[in-house]
Amino acid sequence: MASNKLSIDPDQIIEKEHVVQEGMDISGQWNRMFEQRVIWDYNTEMLDKVTALEGGESLGYCYQCGQCVPVCPVNLVGDYGPRKIFRRVQLGEDLFQSPLLWQCTTCMNCLRVCPKEVDMIQIMPAVRQEAVLQGYVPEELQQAFENTFDYGNPLGESPKKRAAWTKDAGVPVPIMKEKKKADVLWFVECYPSYHPRGIDASKALARVLNELGVDFGILGVEEKCTCDSQRLAGEIGLFEEFAEQNIKTMKRYKFNKILVTDPHALNALRKEYPKYGGKYEVVHYTTFLAPMLDKLNFTNKLNYKVTFHDPCYLGRHNGEFEAPRQILQALPGVELIEMFRCRENSYCCGGGGGGMWLDGFMADHVSERLSERRVREAVEVGADVLAVCCPYEVSRFEDAVKSTGNEGKLVVRDIIELVVEAMGAN
Amino acid sequence: MPEQSVLIVGGGPAGMEAARGVADLGYKAILVEKRSRLGGTPDEAHYAALTPDFRSAEEAMKEMADAVQNHPNVELHLNSTVTAASGSVGDFEITLKNAKGSEKVKAGAVIIATGFTHFDPGRETQQYGYYEFDDVITLVDLEKMLKAHKVVRPSNGQPPKRLCFIQCVGSRDRQIGNEYCSKVCCGIASKEAIEVRQQLPDCKVFIFYIDMRMYGYWESQIYWPAQEKYKVNYIKGIATEVLKKGDQLIVRGEDATFGRPMEVPMDIVVLSVGMEPSAGTKEMAKIFGLETNKYNFIETIGGALNTVTTSKEGVFACGACTGPADLEDSISSASAAALKAVSILRKTAQAA
Repeated sequence: MASNKLSIDPDQIIEKEHVVQEGMDISGQWNRMFEQRVIWDYNTEMLDKVTALEGGESLGYCYQCGQCVPVCPVNLVGDYGPRKIFRRVQLGEDLFQSPLLWQCTTCMNCLRVCPKEVDMIQIMPAVRQEAVLQGYVPEELQQAFENTFDYGNPLGESPKKRAAWTKDAGVPVPIMKEKKKADVLWFVECYPSYHPRGIDASKALARVLNELGVDFGILGVEEKCTCDSQRLAGEIGLFEEFAEQNIKTMKRYKFNKILVTDPHALNALRKEYPKYGGKYEVVHYTTFLAPMLDKLNFTNKLNYKVTFHDPCYLGRHNGEFEAPRQILQALPGVELIEMFRCRENSYCCGGGGGGMWLDGFMADHVSERLSERRVREAVEVGADVLAVCCPYEVSRFEDAVKSTGNEGKLVVRDIIELVVEAMGAN
Repeated sequence: MPEQSVLIVGGGPAGMEAARGVADLGYKAILVEKRSRLGGTPDEAHYAALTPDFRSAEEAMKEMADAVQNHPNVELHLNSTVTAASGSVGDFEITLKNAKGSEKVKAGAVIIATGFTHFDPGRETQQYGYYEFDDVITLVDLEKMLKAHKVVRPSNGQPPKRLCFIQCVGSRDRQIGNEYCSKVCCGIASKEAIEVRQQLPDCKVFIFYIDMRMYGYWESQIYWPAQEKYKVNYIKGIATEVLKKGDQLIVRGEDATFGRPMEVPMDIVVLSVGMEPSAGTKEMAKIFGLETNKYNFIETIGGALNTVTTSKEGVFACGACTGPADLEDSISSASAAALKAVSILRKTAQAA
């Protein structure tokens, strides 16, 4: 990656051999001065390269008002934001080879406040796609791309084991290949299928669906990653290929709606799949469950102070702020406390837009992880449970609880885990 | 014989000036105003001093009102609105409604001068909290305080020690749909900043801006004195949000020149709200069948060479009903409208 350090021209270093100033001998290096580097020209080629891309146009709209930077989650722990990116590219920085390219989590908080609609959600994948084609990709992200390509999931787990978690779910989890037809197709996604903490949430949801008598099925080994985060990280080819495969698979079955655990899958299936011919009614599990709460029997009082982290791709990207809160407030003994940054202005866990696979890279550019910052905020408001409903968040926040020394003070729970806990052992 | 009168809708600065112009040229001016008095928004919203010359708005509006009220050629209809219109150039029939009922009047030409309304900061996409925090106010609210010589924090009645303006609220914003610059807010904020410094010399005043748009003499009449004589601090970088900590407001944003975050305590935050077409402007466009632009201002069709002719022959528009305008613009376009309206009466009469 290209270094962005300013070089100093030796001719611009002034160092007088013999100088005595007010009786003080300041000869040689003691009077060394650097002449400020002169900006000779503005290399507009770099900005032109970005704005020529489909999706990159709006970077050129920036009029430098600076409203985006204070709400950029990366800027809070680093030095970042769309206005700064625009300015540096305008000054000739090659965004395609710049570390600036990979820090955006596509959380969309900048677009929310931007009067010119400079759209990082379009700009980032467009520029990253070019960077990927030219091979300027951080290694760990490249690994996640390759895992997805080889195994159908970014974790690099065996595709044959995608439904392995269902065996000890304790309740039936029907597979569409056998069932053919269901009211609800549950698109489980990768982290809820493979990550141990994701599996905990999947088992909890399976139990609740059974309890409610929902007629559902999963795709099991036929399911592939929706690749929404890979798409936003620049692997658009991979996204398209998998979208076509998933659409083809789902065509074989009859169902009325798709239920998702992962807001990133929600985003892909709801907003992107229609472009490839897959038009579905897609709902996040919190939206699905919120109106059915009275059908669940809560026997266990929880006595938790809970704060809720709005996932970027459920809240800002897809407009759902109420359902998770409705569920939490329905649980006996739960006191819901809001963090300062919540709802539309919620902070970001750092996992979106490829951030899930860039922690090593990001460590060089930020003072602490976004997830660490968020955990501190949760502790500050006096919560003892940080509730989440995106599978990226459980693992990210649990790591952050440990690294910030908050073990014993705060636990991280998926909302569905709290629902099952409140239902009790029966 | 075509009608030899011009009907003017709106008794603000533009409408009054248009009526006076028509009357001075020897034609009958029928001036219709929905309020019980003339003076328009500067009067209704209690403006203190006018921009850029600092003249008392009350005194200036009274002078304009006197000029039309006492003019033998002006027929004044206060507390009246236009509810219908028919006919064409030389022969319009307009229905006026007041508390007593409806009446029909004839006019050969019409001038619309129904003006603007201040942008409602409840619609801004940022989080400035106008309806949440008492000490977040607008240019209009501050104008009223300045006029009463009582600039205090609404929350506790105390004079502010630190006051700031946030520019471009409701203007230059694609998300809100107002992509235009409201043109006057930079000047008005700077004028109000000077007045605050005059009335409260101990109060520090800041203006957070994207670009300062102080064209022509406004630069030397307002901007430079504000900075040089009255020590107003101009900071490039617009605030993103206003928060409250204890009883203090905190303005969060970015100092765009340095690229550094800022969190600045303030006692009063003034939102520099821009202009939108008034309800009357939208209504008149409908009644007279006038083309409007995408922001619902009345469209003038003559480009740069004719700023008052609308899509309907015999109907002219002036002042802020055609787009953001300062007082100087409004008075100029009102005179132009009076001239064009009288010209068309004369041409129609000669042709008949």
